[in-house]
Amino acid sequence: MLSSGYESETWATLRFGREGVPVTHWENLIGSARSADIRVEREDVERVHAVLKRDVDGSWTLFDVFGRGGVWVNGDAVPAGGTVLQSGDAIKLGRTPLHLYDMSEEKRDKLEAKRSVAGKSVSPALTLLELTAFELLLLLQHLTTAPQERPVQIALGFAVLILLEWFCYYAMRLIGRSGFEVETIAFYLTGLGLSVTASSAPQDMFKQTVLILAAFVLFLLLGLWLRSVRRAEKTRLAAAALALGLLALNIFTSDSLNGAKSWLQIGGFSFQPSELVKVAYVYVGAATLEKLYRRRNLLGFIVFSAVCVGALALIGDFGTALVFFICFLVISFLRSGSIATVFLAVSGAAMAGFLAVSIKPYIARRFATWGHVWEDVYGAGYQQTRALGAAAAGGLFGKGAGGGWLTEVVAADTDMVFAVLCEEQGLIIALCAVLAVLTLSFFAVRTARRGRSAYSSIAACAAVTMLMAQMALNVFGTLDLLPFTGVTFPFVSRGGTSLLACWMMMAFIKGSDTRRGGSFAVSPVAELLRPAAKGEKKGGGGA
Amino acid sequence: MKKITTRALSVLLLALGIIFGMTLFVLRYVDEGRDWALYFAGANSGAGGELRDRNGELLASFDATRSAFSADGETRVACYHITGDYWDRSGTGALSAYWDRMQEYSLLSGTTKKEPRQFTLTVDASLCRTAYFAVGYNRRGAAMLMNYRTGEVLAMVSAPSVDPINGEVPVAESAFINRCLSATFAPGSVFKLVTAAAAIEDVPDLSSRSFLCEGEYTIGSVDIHCTGVHGWQSVEQAMANSCNCAFAQIAVAAGYNSLYRHVKDYGFLDGYELDGIPSVAGSYRTEFAGNPELAWSGIGQSTDLVCPFAMLRYVAAIANDGMLARPRLILTDEPAELTRLVEASTAKKLKEMMSYNVVTHYDPANNFPGISHLCAKTGTAETGDGSSHAWFTGFLDDPSHPYAFVVVIERGGGGLQAAGPVARRILQAAIARDGG
Repeated sequence: MLSSGYESETWATLRFGREGVPVTHWENLIGSARSADIRVEREDVERVHAVLKRDVDGSWTLFDVFGRGGVWVNGDAVPAGGTVLQSGDAIKLGRTPLHLYDMSEEKRDKLEAKRSVAGKSVSPALTLLELTAFELLLLLQHLTTAPQERPVQIALGFAVLILLEWFCYYAMRLIGRSGFEVETIAFYLTGLGLSVTASSAPQDMFKQTVLILAAFVLFLLLGLWLRSVRRAEKTRLAAAALALGLLALNIFTSDSLNGAKSWLQIGGFSFQPSELVKVAYVYVGAATLEKLYRRRNLLGFIVFSAVCVGALALIGDFGTALVFFICFLVISFLRSGSIATVFLAVSGAAMAGFLAVSIKPYIARRFATWGHVWEDVYGAGYQQTRALGAAAAGGLFGKGAGGGWLTEVVAADTDMVFAVLCEEQGLIIALCAVLAVLTLSFFAVRTARRGRSAYSSIAACAAVTMLMAQMALNVFGTLDLLPFTGVTFPFVSRGGTSLLACWMMMAFIKGSDTRRGGSFAVSPVAELLRPAAKGEKKGGGGA
Repeated sequence: MKKITTRALSVLLLALGIIFGMTLFVLRYVDEGRDWALYFAGANSGAGGELRDRNGELLASFDATRSAFSADGETRVACYHITGDYWDRSGTGALSAYWDRMQEYSLLSGTTKKEPRQFTLTVDASLCRTAYFAVGYNRRGAAMLMNYRTGEVLAMVSAPSVDPINGEVPVAESAFINRCLSATFAPGSVFKLVTAAAAIEDVPDLSSRSFLCEGEYTIGSVDIHCTGVHGWQSVEQAMANSCNCAFAQIAVAAGYNSLYRHVKDYGFLDGYELDGIPSVAGSYRTEFAGNPELAWSGIGQSTDLVCPFAMLRYVAAIANDGMLARPRLILTDEPAELTRLVEASTAKKLKEMMSYNVVTHYDPANNFPGISHLCAKTGTAETGDGSSHAWFTGFLDDPSHPYAFVVVIERGGGGLQAAGPVARRILQAAIARDGG
């Protein structure tokens, strides 16, 4: 998945003098800086001068970033809202003339045909076949190694998962998508999670199966919705409002559970609003290129982040607050590139964290236990010592699905799920689960380089950051490498809302994958300029 | 875009951190995994284990998905303090103490069942049942039986006890304590065995001396009372009479230093391990506090406290010519590990005294029918609230039944009356087990 060919898309050509520069993104920074996407090395061109942006319908818009050097199109100064360009329009940056030439459909088709097709180096069908075999083995273990309750529900759960995998595969093939890496990883982790549920709470198998289906539907809907960055961009405020509303609801209505008020009961279902807020946070945090250079936007985001983290702290969910904060650091660095901002944020958070530790005794206790779990095996170190013991008892290959005992310990299938994996599946599979999330992150960073829009690139990076931060806190907390925070392992920990959120995060990663046939969440090049596809259905998808 | 995509690499810092953390974990896993895996965290942890008595009778069996104790409720309760339970509530059971030895561990396959699976103890479950029910339902107490030639502990019971099969049922107060290993009691007259040893070695003319008992003995401003008026007695007669007046004089004659040294050398002040299961230390006044106090301590009162297991070690050594066979709970083919605890000549004299006790004072024909060569000492230790702990300890000086025993009935009354019958039933069962 990481080795597959990865050439840029080309959308237009920008000429200045005799040079022709290919325009490889939908959002391009023009300036004299080395980091500019289209570098124009002239004295009168600012380091960061203008942003050239393509819309879904194929139109190009030029934005003036600072307005000091001045940007003109056909002799008219570009206003704050930007100027729509036509192919061949004369652009002037300062005194430097440029010309934008859009690309003919034939030429674009030809270029597109030269790009490697996603999923060519490793056959997605073969990987999926391996995954299916792995999941069937899991099921077999569940049905044989331990005296199982509800074997029918367990078998049904795995059957639905495997069917879903193949349905997803063929559906993607049908619409000409062959990039299946992200889905495969997500399905792998979801399968491990299903196995954990079968071990620890077979009575919940049916619920978990339904949740997997729901999560997959949400993944599809969000992915299709993200096809239009403009649509996403426009609804950011609504998403922010929704997030804050959920948090407020959480603070004022839910009861305390295990020290944290992070659960909300609605009609017999309990769910964690903070998990959905994660999705909204990524959705809100990402931004398109021309907006990035407006300080006001970043400020708004910082305020939004502070409210989110503060609300989570108020709820008592410090683990999730920390995950948000790490994500905030990454997004704000991606957006501003300013180490100073990040430093400021870190010192601010350090102070807030210190305050939290001194005010909340149970957090201080967890810090005190950190690194000393074996000194208090019946008290503060109870969970981690059991987790370590079970993890080591599994060896490299594990005791088999359903063959472990750690699931009898409270919260083993959520907060200590990594140890359950180690015990039942063995160290190798458990490390593979960690590796799977890391692979996602490498993949996301790599696709981000070719993302059409800054929005999708930032969103993909933020999504994997969220997943990685969560995994790090979960795994290292369990293993006593960090204080125990009680956050979930993406996909694997039992918990419905968490699973929904994780699958939706996958949509962000798919949204930045511009390989040929890479992603359903990206409109294919061939469809973009055909008259039939022009003016993409607005407002479709998952509102 | 370029700027953003370059900055995106910062995301990989987090990935790098995770890789670093996982590497650290794997290194620790390799280094400490064995200790983690073999830690007893409830009896279903690891691959499980199995405890059997010396005859192969099942005491407890566990694996990840199944747990079982003896099918017989009496055995479960009688052996509770030997096995421990799923939750390790007693803290001194063989399950938790030997957990790491009951299973294999390898880095490759984690914990696996050990072959053969049986982990065999020296105890005899039927003797334990006899001992437990001899102590009785309504009494608190401890009883141990040990082969003084081999060191094998054949029975170890403590009452009240617990049925390990059900963690929900409320248990009697202090039922989790193994009174054999984890408790100390005022020893009363059984302590005269120690005072006598000190006098034998450090009072040169002991055998030619006589000690007068007028029913009461005044030393300083302290009156020491006796159970009768014993008149002039030799040390043997004083032991048989369990005469407080005489032993007060003997303790003073031996002196504090001699007494303290003997108490210490005989191991009454140390905690030991019964094959890895710890016992608690007893106590004896650590500084000379005047002759009246010394006299009290010589008859097993004052601040004297003795762990039943320590007393068993002492009488077992006396039985074995002063050589202690290291007490064992795990059955092996290895020969007994012998160390000298008591001088041979001292042990010989003490053995004669203990035999003389039984013959002249304990009415063996009626109190101990079917038990020959019994050497013993009673103890009735005043607790200060009017009640007294009943002790009975000793051994059979018989190579075909080489058993040493100790019985303590907490606040049980007189030693011979309360603890004697318990010893009788255990010894009779042990002799019957040997085939007469």
